[in-house]
Amino acid sequence: MRDSTFRKIALIATTLALFVVVLGAYVRLSDAGLGCPDWPGCYGHVGVPESEDKIAAANEAYPERPVEPAKAWKEMIHRYFASTLGLLIIILAVIGWRNKKNIGQQYRLPIFLVGLVIFQGLLGMWTVTVKLNPTIVMLHLMGGLTTLSLLWWVTLRQSKMFVGGSSYPSQLKPFSGIVVIGTIIVVIQLFLGGWTSSNYAALVCTDFPTCQGYLIPPTDFKEAFNLWRGTEINFEFGVLDNTARMTIHFVHRVGALVTFLYIGWLAFKLLKSEVLSLKNLGLILLIVLVAQVSLGIANVLLSLPLLVAVAHNGVGALLLLTMVTINHAIKPPSQM
Amino acid sequence: MTNSTSIVNDYYELCKPRVVMLIVFTAVIGMFLAVPTPQDLPLIETIFGTLGIGLAAASAAAINQIVEQKFDAEMKRTEDRPLITGGINQKQALIFAIVVGLLAMLMLVVLVNPLTAGLTFLSLIGYAFIYTLYLKHATPQNIVIGGAAGAAPPVLGWAAVTNDVTVHSLILFLIIFVWTPPHFWALAIAKKDDYAKVGIPMLPVTHGVKFTRLQVLLYTVLLLIVTALPFLSQMSGMVYLIASTILGGIFLYYAVRMQNPELKGMPMKTFGYSIIYLMLLFSFLLIDHYVVYFIV
Repeated sequence: MRDSTFRKIALIATTLALFVVVLGAYVRLSDAGLGCPDWPGCYGHVGVPESEDKIAAANEAYPERPVEPAKAWKEMIHRYFASTLGLLIIILAVIGWRNKKNIGQQYRLPIFLVGLVIFQGLLGMWTVTVKLNPTIVMLHLMGGLTTLSLLWWVTLRQSKMFVGGSSYPSQLKPFSGIVVIGTIIVVIQLFLGGWTSSNYAALVCTDFPTCQGYLIPPTDFKEAFNLWRGTEINFEFGVLDNTARMTIHFVHRVGALVTFLYIGWLAFKLLKSEVLSLKNLGLILLIVLVAQVSLGIANVLLSLPLLVAVAHNGVGALLLLTMVTINHAIKPPSQM
Repeated sequence: MTNSTSIVNDYYELCKPRVVMLIVFTAVIGMFLAVPTPQDLPLIETIFGTLGIGLAAASAAAINQIVEQKFDAEMKRTEDRPLITGGINQKQALIFAIVVGLLAMLMLVVLVNPLTAGLTFLSLIGYAFIYTLYLKHATPQNIVIGGAAGAAPPVLGWAAVTNDVTVHSLILFLIIFVWTPPHFWALAIAKKDDYAKVGIPMLPVTHGVKFTRLQVLLYTVLLLIVTALPFLSQMSGMVYLIASTILGGIFLYYAVRMQNPELKGMPMKTFGYSIIYLMLLFSFLLIDHYVVYFIV
């Protein structure tokens, strides 16, 4: 009975984590990341200051950032959902720990996740206090995606999903190396995507496949990938010049091409497998990949509509989850 | 399990992950308590302070296992350690410990502050060498004195974010310092035969179980007094006082029950509770410190 409780909570936590990641992207993309200039409260409130005298007091306390209730609510709702996720993860770790003697019980990762989610909270705080420093924003995204992936991994390992159908080690083994490489490619591409967004480089090219008319634009890698720019300035709307932003954008496009080719090839290889679960995953991978590339191109051609931009983040997360699932499927948990 | 994951697993176990986690946990709480609001936590110092302290603890744990290899091999409690099972050899473990230790020190000196680096270095030496090599085998007061190294983390965390050692951080030190003997002796009573076999002069081995049981009780009483200090020094408020009194009361209950030799499982249960006790006590220090956010 306890085992099924663990599985249910793990699944709920995974779903919530996906929602929190996408909500975080929505906060970022609707420029609400600084909707509350303080942390953990919002202008010192548990909610958002809304009555006139409270807004007046808040504006006096933070003259550089007057209250915009719509933005503030987005930020606060993200924080509350994220805190709920944190609580779920703690519950998961406690249940896992108490049942650690059971065979196949996940408990190390859930405990690690408690630490990770606390660190995520701190990164969320620093996102605000160091005024959207791109490194912190990107790390906050990667931390969220890591949390999501590990929760999904825990769910999969605990419930033994996606390993149905008979398989022989000889049918799975050929995939182990190429799946690892595929996962690394996807992770790098997600990093590049987060870097594009946190440096406000998505809108620097509005044409495709060219960028400002260039097939290969002039680049400035040193500026574009300077990973630490200090904590002293406000980074909202970006601080990089045109060339540096083009470089980031262009590298994300090159990454997209590599991802498209490699993951596409991997998907076809999975589709040709005789193992049913791998066949299914190959199909899912192909669909997610095509959707993600299309959304990316749409972002460029339509000048980053909010819905498309958020969807590009969400489907990116799904692509990662698909890779996690494939990793799980080719290494079924041993059944002792 | 494939070969590569089992090597990762062996190095993971070489670091004594559960001990390191408790150390990092108390260090991070030290950081949080050192500043008025979480927003005042300096970014670089917090991240690399936590990482540096964690890595230093891992290095110390690895050194401890290298030094203790021949004793660990003969005790049931420690016979699964990677150096004993042969997953890692001594040379590999030593290189690992040195690299990780140097990385930790470099991180603390360059990115945090020399004070934290120095204090962390002293704790590492204190645990990995003074305690493991000398004290542990020299005196039944081994874990009392050696407890100083284990009690350092909140001071280290505090120093990392403020570059200072204050009375308040020393109170946190004192709490863990006084907590260590009843925590460890409860385990030593349960594992007395193991310690006797390899000739480590743990208190139950040298002075008997009955005497040790009494010491556990006395130290628990002392712990109750010491854990009132955060409130008495106005570092913490009512939330903490209530929590620490209840948690301490439960500890006392365990310690009293432990006095009855008929109840065979009590020492191990007391040991288990002592870990939960420390985690909750520090959690409540944190909650109390930031309770203002929950009630505004």
